[in-house]
Amino acid sequence: MKNRTLIHYALLLVGLLSAPIAQAQQTNKLLHRVSAKFASVKDYSVDVHIKVDMPFLRMLPINAKIYFKQKDKFKVESKSIAIVPKQSFVQLTKLIADTNSYTAMQQGREVVNGTPTALINIIPLSDTSDVVLGKLWIDDKQMVIVKSMITTKSNGTILTTYTYDNQLAYGLPDVMLFEVDVKKFKIPKAVAADINTSQATTTKDDGKPKKGKITITLTNYKINKGIADSFFKKN
Amino acid sequence: MFWKSTYNELIKIAYKPRSYIGIGGITLIIGIVLFAMKLEGKYYISLITGQLEQSVSFEGNILNGNLIGFIILQMLIVHVPLLIAFVTGDLISGEADMGTIRLLLTKPISRNSILFSKFLAGCLYTAIVVLWLALMAVLLGRVLFGSGDLIVLKSDGLTILQQHDIVWRFVYGFGMAFLSLVTVATLALTLSCFSENSIGPIVTTMGIILLFTIVGTLDVPLFDTIRPFMFTTHMAAWRCFFDDPIDTAQILKSSLILLAHIAVLLGIATYKFNRKDILS
Repeated sequence: MKNRTLIHYALLLVGLLSAPIAQAQQTNKLLHRVSAKFASVKDYSVDVHIKVDMPFLRMLPINAKIYFKQKDKFKVESKSIAIVPKQSFVQLTKLIADTNSYTAMQQGREVVNGTPTALINIIPLSDTSDVVLGKLWIDDKQMVIVKSMITTKSNGTILTTYTYDNQLAYGLPDVMLFEVDVKKFKIPKAVAADINTSQATTTKDDGKPKKGKITITLTNYKINKGIADSFFKKN
Repeated sequence: MFWKSTYNELIKIAYKPRSYIGIGGITLIIGIVLFAMKLEGKYYISLITGQLEQSVSFEGNILNGNLIGFIILQMLIVHVPLLIAFVTGDLISGEADMGTIRLLLTKPISRNSILFSKFLAGCLYTAIVVLWLALMAVLLGRVLFGSGDLIVLKSDGLTILQQHDIVWRFVYGFGMAFLSLVTVATLALTLSCFSENSIGPIVTTMGIILLFTIVGTLDVPLFDTIRPFMFTTHMAAWRCFFDDPIDTAQILKSSLILLAHIAVLLGIATYKFNRKDILS
């Protein structure tokens, strides 16, 4: 009788200890499946329409073309000056592809824009990693990232919302909305040669961190058509 | 007779070596700026975009002829008045200094006509300097650096204007710069009526511009009431054409204030020149 009770306790302990391991394995499996879906895209080119809404910056929406090749080759071709979130196209997919470089934990479930998602936290294992923390909202039915929040040492926090339509099968979004941290902007008057602008007429800065929004609409995807590595070399 | 007198004044300007100091100075300065930008332009750009590049990256030809033209224009517009004053400050006092004013006034033409023909010749010289500035800054800049969107630099932000939306802004911008420089030319011409040598009006013109610029730059409430009426405040009105949306009210106000300065200064010059004793 006593022995049977001991066995019951031992089994309970093993069960309690193995539950987080099993959950972590399940989370890693989910990330692996998301990554595998994106990995089926060897390369792509896409027409983009970029709309920038940032403090300290005024510009009209522009059209450009983006080229991507696995793992991290990325190029923007534009006749106009284009502003794109730094590293955002490449960083996330590169990060989740290497499941050994981070610890992933499912924090719970949330509904994002009507889509039920698994909320997963990613903590890089390396101290030297630029990424400090990643939060991913994953549609575990379609195996795509619906929303991400990546905090990096160099670029602050970038919140991205993805909308999928035509290229859902490849995990490629049709609309990406980036929200980036913008620090205080000030060019020395000597550089701007803006000598007659007095402080009274310039925009007052309240000292609070500002958010900038960049909306990228992606159309006319050309997937796995083959792009040479040399194409990505800078001129 | 008036047009002939204006033509004669233009010939006089053309024959004076100092008239080429302005053109030569502009050529040299722009040459140096273009050379420096070709070598270190990317560093200059990083000073501007560096603060935003912590969160976003800029793609495309940022360092282009339009940006170079804009940078040169805003750098030189502070110094070109000196080059204009070299010539226009000498128009009356130079004649007095050389002793030719007595001969000039014996011609069968009114003093007013002589003064206005000198003013018109000064305006034409200013137009040539502005055209040369435009040619060197924008056209040569485009030849060397290509064309592209323009990043308009302001101390508290950036405005990016698209390539197809720039040429007309430069045309109007240079037009506004011309009006500003004509104000300086008129000031120098007016001061020239009070002097018997050329140095006095040129130095005084530059002194006034320097003083007004310092007063305009100082963020002291004491000067807030006079700042809007100083012509130096409105000399930067050409920048308004590079705003989006364009502040037409400000452009109109600046144009009227500059025109008012020109009218008042010409009035003073006419009054003084008509009563001037010719003692040389």
